[in-house]
Amino acid sequence: MSYSTFNRKKFDSMKEPMFFGENVNVARYDQQKHPIFEKLIEKQLSFFWRPEEVDLSNDRKDFQRLEEHEQHIFLSNLKYQTLLDSVQGRSPNVALLPIVSLPELETWIETWSFSETIHSRSYTHIIRNIVNDPTLIFDDIVTNEEITKRADSVSKYYDNLIEMVNLYNTMGFGTFNVPGKGDVEITMPKLKKALYLTVASVNVLEAVRFYVSFACSFGFAERTLMEGNAKIIKLIARDEALHLTGTQHMMNLMASGKDDPEMAIIAEECKDDVRNIFIEAAEQEKEWATYLFKDGSMIGLNAQILGQYVEYITNVRMQAVGLDTHFETKHNPIPWINAWLVSDNVQVAPQEAEISSYLVGQTDNSLDDSDFDDFDL
Amino acid sequence: MTLTSKQDISQKKEQMHRVLLGKKQILVTEDEPLLVQLERAGIHVEYQCREGYCSSCSIKLLWGNVSYPFEPLAWVQSGYLLACCAIVKSDIEIQFL
Repeated sequence: MSYSTFNRKKFDSMKEPMFFGENVNVARYDQQKHPIFEKLIEKQLSFFWRPEEVDLSNDRKDFQRLEEHEQHIFLSNLKYQTLLDSVQGRSPNVALLPIVSLPELETWIETWSFSETIHSRSYTHIIRNIVNDPTLIFDDIVTNEEITKRADSVSKYYDNLIEMVNLYNTMGFGTFNVPGKGDVEITMPKLKKALYLTVASVNVLEAVRFYVSFACSFGFAERTLMEGNAKIIKLIARDEALHLTGTQHMMNLMASGKDDPEMAIIAEECKDDVRNIFIEAAEQEKEWATYLFKDGSMIGLNAQILGQYVEYITNVRMQAVGLDTHFETKHNPIPWINAWLVSDNVQVAPQEAEISSYLVGQTDNSLDDSDFDDFDL
Repeated sequence: MTLTSKQDISQKKEQMHRVLLGKKQILVTEDEPLLVQLERAGIHVEYQCREGYCSSCSIKLLWGNVSYPFEPLAWVQSGYLLACCAIVKSDIEIQFL
């Protein structure tokens, strides 16, 4: 029950469920119950990039020339992105590592979360480059009402799971009185439900909320403004596409019952809750679009178009986790976003221009005498 | 020499498949994934990574067979295909979301 950083039991980790089985002991990757997480780790590592590689000197000039309402759109969007990655840079570690039971999934969670910290570092890089006093921007993230509303909805499932797992790890099963909160009942089905809803809300964060913010970033770049920023967002979008695949796999594996039969029952019971998480998030994102464009829209993007994109992307993501779509919008109202989202022309260093997952130091050791047949001395 | 190239052509012809999309019909080969061939036929398909991990190009497969030269990283729901890396193996009917 209580967490151990090195579980002394001898057990077959290939037979453990993804979560709430034995605590992981040996970090071994020669065998995997779910090879997908090993593949995601390798892909994520091949994506490694640093924000300082992107030059933002033109963005400073562009930013100063933006109209006031456009600066509001740009900065608010950036604050929202900063909030989302602040949450994502720590929460998968804090919430999921104490309950994970597979070494490959444990390392995927760490790799995933680490890549989010790179995103957070890039927002600092961007903000430092476009304004004189970054503190004004960062401080507003915790006081601005529109932003804090979003903070509540992206962190509440995580926080609930963390609290329940803390109780479980110290007290075990039972009903416990938490000061300021009342009685909290800890049972395995309740823990698993909290976990499933958390993974769903993370999927919504990465697959819906982030994409809405990407649309705004690329909206500027479509007008050849803030292009350094767009280049960074492109790298972030490439990572996020991988992360959302990770949470889709977790949800679909849970729902299939192949990983843990009890989890399939929980997933079925939670279907309406998960639908509502998607729909509520979409409604919040539409409200957010109204806030962004409250003082005026920009060429190519306004609250209505962004709202339609929210509906479209929510439908796509709902379908990906086996839910029926909810909104009428069937088509992407901003098809130009694909050209910005496409990963294979993300250029960081020149040698990476042709392939996004450029691997350094790939040598071929399988040489034999016949490979030298063409050589004449 | 002539004989061989004729054979090649006839083999290629055997690999052509019909893709039905609403009232449209597109002919595709097994040489390339479905996505590029749909784009060439002027059909707009959503995409992001184009290498099988983002699932943006997921399309409903109503009937027919496709195969994947490499298993995509994205989860492919049953009854769907990933256009960026699916090779069409028979006549198929597809539908967008």
